[in-house]
Amino acid sequence: MNLVETAKDILKTHKAEFIIGYTKGTDGRTKPFIAKNEKDAEQLVFNHYSVNNLAVYLTRINKPKNGKIGIVAKGCDVRAIIALVQENQIKREDVFIIGMNCSGVVRDIDEHWNKENTQIKCKYCQLRTPHIYDLLIGELEEFELPEDDQQILMNKIESLNAEERFDFWANEFDKCIKCYACRQVCPLCYCEQCIAEKSMPQWIETSATARGNFAWNLIRAFHLSGRCVGCHECERACPMDIPMTLLTRKMGMTAGKEFNYKHGMDPLEPTLIGTYNLKDKEDFIK
Amino acid sequence: MDLYKILFEDLQKLISDLLKQGSSVVTQSAEGKKFIEIKKADEFILNPASKPTDISMKEYFFPKSESLFFYKKTKDGIELIDASKKNHRTVIIGAKPCDAAALPILSKVFNWDYKDEFFNQRANNTIIIGIACSYKDSSCFCTSAGLSPDSEKGSDLFLIPLNDNEYLLKLITEKGKKFLGEFSFLSKIKAAEKPVQDYGADKTEFDYLKIKNWLDNNFSSEFWDKTGELCLGCAQCAYVCPVCHCFDIVDESCGLSCGRRVKNWDSCQFGLFTKHASGHNPRNDQGKRYRQRINHKFKYYNERFGEILCTGCGRCSRGCPVSINILEILQEINRQEIHK
Repeated sequence: MNLVETAKDILKTHKAEFIIGYTKGTDGRTKPFIAKNEKDAEQLVFNHYSVNNLAVYLTRINKPKNGKIGIVAKGCDVRAIIALVQENQIKREDVFIIGMNCSGVVRDIDEHWNKENTQIKCKYCQLRTPHIYDLLIGELEEFELPEDDQQILMNKIESLNAEERFDFWANEFDKCIKCYACRQVCPLCYCEQCIAEKSMPQWIETSATARGNFAWNLIRAFHLSGRCVGCHECERACPMDIPMTLLTRKMGMTAGKEFNYKHGMDPLEPTLIGTYNLKDKEDFIK
Repeated sequence: MDLYKILFEDLQKLISDLLKQGSSVVTQSAEGKKFIEIKKADEFILNPASKPTDISMKEYFFPKSESLFFYKKTKDGIELIDASKKNHRTVIIGAKPCDAAALPILSKVFNWDYKDEFFNQRANNTIIIGIACSYKDSSCFCTSAGLSPDSEKGSDLFLIPLNDNEYLLKLITEKGKKFLGEFSFLSKIKAAEKPVQDYGADKTEFDYLKIKNWLDNNFSSEFWDKTGELCLGCAQCAYVCPVCHCFDIVDESCGLSCGRRVKNWDSCQFGLFTKHASGHNPRNDQGKRYRQRINHKFKYYNERFGEILCTGCGRCSRGCPVSINILEILQEINRQEIHK
């Protein structure tokens, strides 16, 4: 069955009370959409332009009184859903995951999808078929992986000395206008009150100046270390094109290397930040 | 009418002279994402067919962060130090009508009761050379916002492209005329006739009076809950907007003995924007915040200042992370029945 027929059946049989999915947006875009009944379900679409990670809505919209929330999710989106389960923000049984086989999504949403116009995350994606779902839809396309150019940039940055690296980030953070789009689109940024909004004491200056921008961008990255699932929504949403996934991806790689941990893979696995193990390395304590 | 023919190389020469004088020259960046200060005349590009930049040029008169004054603790008490106001000239070349119109619109609110000297100083020191625009996409609606692709509002001088190399230069304001008079090499440019070109100024996407009438009668409509339901509440729309102008004033210390008071961009789309000290928030969900965005732009600003707080540039729609298109929302309002 295709997405529309599946969604209609899910709503009809109350496997979910509503479905968070995508519908046609302006020109070739898609946009988030909530299908509340079978008629709405006819408007659901999924394609290379379905860029949003809809898991962000799971902690933001009103939950149904009874029954589940249905959600259309690519592999990277499923990781966010599972991460929310691991972090006790939602229950696995409250969500009905319509997993989508995904062959990549566009980087520039107003241009056609092709090898060059593919998001960074798709270039090293290992979850074209989601790892967890209640129902799986779609066929995978044959597709030659484009070069992982972010890895090349990461290697280059790592070869710089501390001062040069500081200059690189000073230049990038200088662009920040503090619109907090990176925070608002992040499915793992669900705090009711963000540290950036606390004024007693003022942990992060609200000014979009070097100091305030460094504080915000670095604290954001730290708060997502070992938690970021790599959906790259922050970077996609950034109107100033700050390459912030360099930081979160690096943090994720470190969590993998040092603790053999990858967030959002297993709903029953305790979180890296939330657990202490006697075998944990302590060599950072000097 | 003061109309002349000018060549691209004349504009390059003008830029080169301005840079020599120490004036700032601001144009669209090569990749078209934003307006930047250029350092060399050959960095200058002029592309009337380009998409509006991702972020507007308002930062050149309303910066994202602007120091108001500094303070320093001394042994005699507290010393206040004025922030130095920008007093050198900025020339913005290649502003589209939806960019240039922002200055007179913003000028109204910044000179309403309190006259904002920081804004005014920057505005007075800015010369805007606008250009007629030949770009249109599904987010553009300047013609419905009271402008047009060849609207001269806000420009001191205005360019109309004839071909890649030739432009008509129109003198709009006395300030623009005086500015041009400073450059003797420009005295050789010849008067010209304006060619008849249809920029489609009469095609509109919605009937503004109908929108205003609906807004007047539907503050509590369920429409807002539905519209705000999927908005994630970032400030992309407000911060890329040429005319959104909300700001917050905060004090920042640089340690124990000094600090500054600073004016920073703020947005009605943040929950914190209206949160009271008690914890109560009169705009406690995104529907109410989105309602404020539309009402401020298309109702309140019009009632107070006689024009709308929008130039139809479409930046907010193009950049929205969840693809909310303000034009589609206005068109939806346009289709609504008015329930009184």
